[in-house]
Amino acid sequence: MDLTLSPAEEEFRDTLRAWIADNHPGKEPEGDEASFAFRRDWQQKLNERGWAGLTWPEEYGGAGATQIEQAILFEEFARSRAPQMANVLGLTMGGPTVIAHGTDEQKARFLSPILSADEMWCQGFSEPESGSDLASLKTRAVLDGDAYVVTGQKVWTTFAHHSKWCMLLARTNAEAPKHRGLTYFLMDMEQPGVEIRPLVQITGEAEFNELFIEEARIPVENVVGGVDNGWRVAITTLMHERAGLAFALQARVQVALGELADELRGTTDPLIRQRFAQVAIEAQVLRLLAFRGLTSTMKGGEPGPEGSLGKWLWADINQALTTLAMDARGPAAQLVDDTWTYRFLRARANSIEGGTTEILKNIVAERVLGLPRA
Amino acid sequence: MNFDLTEDQREIQRTAREWLASRYPIARVREIALDGGSDATWDEIDELGWPEIADFGMVELAVVAEQLGFSLAPTPLASHWAARLLHPELEGRGTVAMWDGEDGAKLAVPAADVADTIIVQRGDQVFAVPAAEASIEPANALDPTRPLFTVRASGGEEITGDHLARAWHAIYVAAAAESVGVAARVTAMSVEYAKERKQFGRPIGSYQAVSHACAQMFLETEGARNVVLWAAWALDNDPDAAFMAANAAKAYASDAAVNVCRSSMQVHGGIGFTWEHDLHLFFKRAEANARAFGDSTWHREQVAATYL
Repeated sequence: MDLTLSPAEEEFRDTLRAWIADNHPGKEPEGDEASFAFRRDWQQKLNERGWAGLTWPEEYGGAGATQIEQAILFEEFARSRAPQMANVLGLTMGGPTVIAHGTDEQKARFLSPILSADEMWCQGFSEPESGSDLASLKTRAVLDGDAYVVTGQKVWTTFAHHSKWCMLLARTNAEAPKHRGLTYFLMDMEQPGVEIRPLVQITGEAEFNELFIEEARIPVENVVGGVDNGWRVAITTLMHERAGLAFALQARVQVALGELADELRGTTDPLIRQRFAQVAIEAQVLRLLAFRGLTSTMKGGEPGPEGSLGKWLWADINQALTTLAMDARGPAAQLVDDTWTYRFLRARANSIEGGTTEILKNIVAERVLGLPRA
Repeated sequence: MNFDLTEDQREIQRTAREWLASRYPIARVREIALDGGSDATWDEIDELGWPEIADFGMVELAVVAEQLGFSLAPTPLASHWAARLLHPELEGRGTVAMWDGEDGAKLAVPAADVADTIIVQRGDQVFAVPAAEASIEPANALDPTRPLFTVRASGGEEITGDHLARAWHAIYVAAAAESVGVAARVTAMSVEYAKERKQFGRPIGSYQAVSHACAQMFLETEGARNVVLWAAWALDNDPDAAFMAANAAKAYASDAAVNVCRSSMQVHGGIGFTWEHDLHLFFKRAEANARAFGDSTWHREQVAATYL
């Protein structure tokens, strides 16, 4: 047990802290469009300093930093209430996938614009008929000369309307078992076969989209990690990014917790104080799970169950936190405000998106506890 | 940065797990519990160096404390730790009396029958009272593995010093670590039972109503262990965070053990409600320990006070 930083890590933290103090963009505007532009500017600023792809190898425009330095970055973001970066899916999933499984040509083509936020990325995994049972997806890709022709429908495609590239899972082999017939493609969103329809959520905004794909073409050189190998490419990348994601999520919770504390300071309502403390404690538990995950990843073993636990706990915490904020507003919560109404509504999706809480509980029950499959 | 036990700490954990399992198999725990006293056999515990383990570090103490909870060991070791943390010059064995009853009595004092000195809290002050000068009556404890006594003790020598605030928080962490042990043992028992017990021709653990309950137990147990280890480490290394961490640990671990045991009783069904099954022993330890040294509501308020 040792949570202290080495002298080099402390130096990095101090440099980072000073830089954030000089460059902090202020409070993030609420709402999809405004916050997207705000986060894009922030990412560009970080990238100019070389920190957008902190843990990426230097040859790909990253800083080659350690996972601990990545954790420090998220902690300092939280401490200073700095915004997240805009191209979150490109930075945490697309880029690492290309680095791990991509060809040299793919690395040269795709990585730099992810960091600069010149090209945004989205993820085309879920389909109307394939939510939790993702591997049953039906979007098909058929080879035609030097390109695959893709037809199908994707849903819950976050930021598709901002994106140049889509990480697309499509079926290339209908005969193989469902996990073994999928291929991981990088699909250009700017082509006639791709139609984006905004999917208006309960918040009234359209952060997600439906994607209608009708004979879109993807050149064969945009296959990542081999034909019919898409499930493994998608899953391994997800597993290895979970330590980083857990830190990003817990940092966001700490920011919101600090803002809520500012609003509730001095309250004498014992129920509100109890509920606030419970959220604050669980936020610490989440933070420590992220540290634990970092330690097991650094020891070179397989990522532990921390990823599944962290995503599940985060959803619980963010829902409890935003519900508490609404309750603290009292009767005024019947009216839309400029902060908590949106967050409260948005948080309802936390236990559904990126793996439902029920699926995460199945993963823990079956793979960690060894209980029989449902 | 290494959020994991060191090899030395793992060795302490292994030794504690194995020694306590051989010294206090659950049948032996039952015998001692039904006898109604504390097991004041110190020889080997002294040889292991456990009474002074706080001198090595709070993480080391938390590691042993978790195993005390895991085994339900009816040793007065944890009570002695609490007394020694408040009164570092303590000679012999001690315990702590804090809850006010009627007529100046102190309620729910563990291990008073085998203590030489009783550390008595009065308001913000603490006093060391020789057990021989106190009146000590057995009480009817919810948790039979940790006998409790009603103590009347006046006078005594006041204990003062800068160590007291830290000492109380170290006691919270030790108690929280015991709850983690209870939660870990009961989670394991529940998972094992859910794999074996068949209904409608299938192991009940294949039903999500049961498997998700087990997953929830695992989440809370892991979370509790992490927050306890953090608090233990912070008490020795990060004084700014340590007190809040200790309050957080006691609140979260108390609730985790209680939640795990209540849920486990549901997973076990009828057999878990019987006297012959061991579950109720862990259940009662969890419920009693959650109320020792401040319940989770009180500890949460201390956390709230640091933010609000």
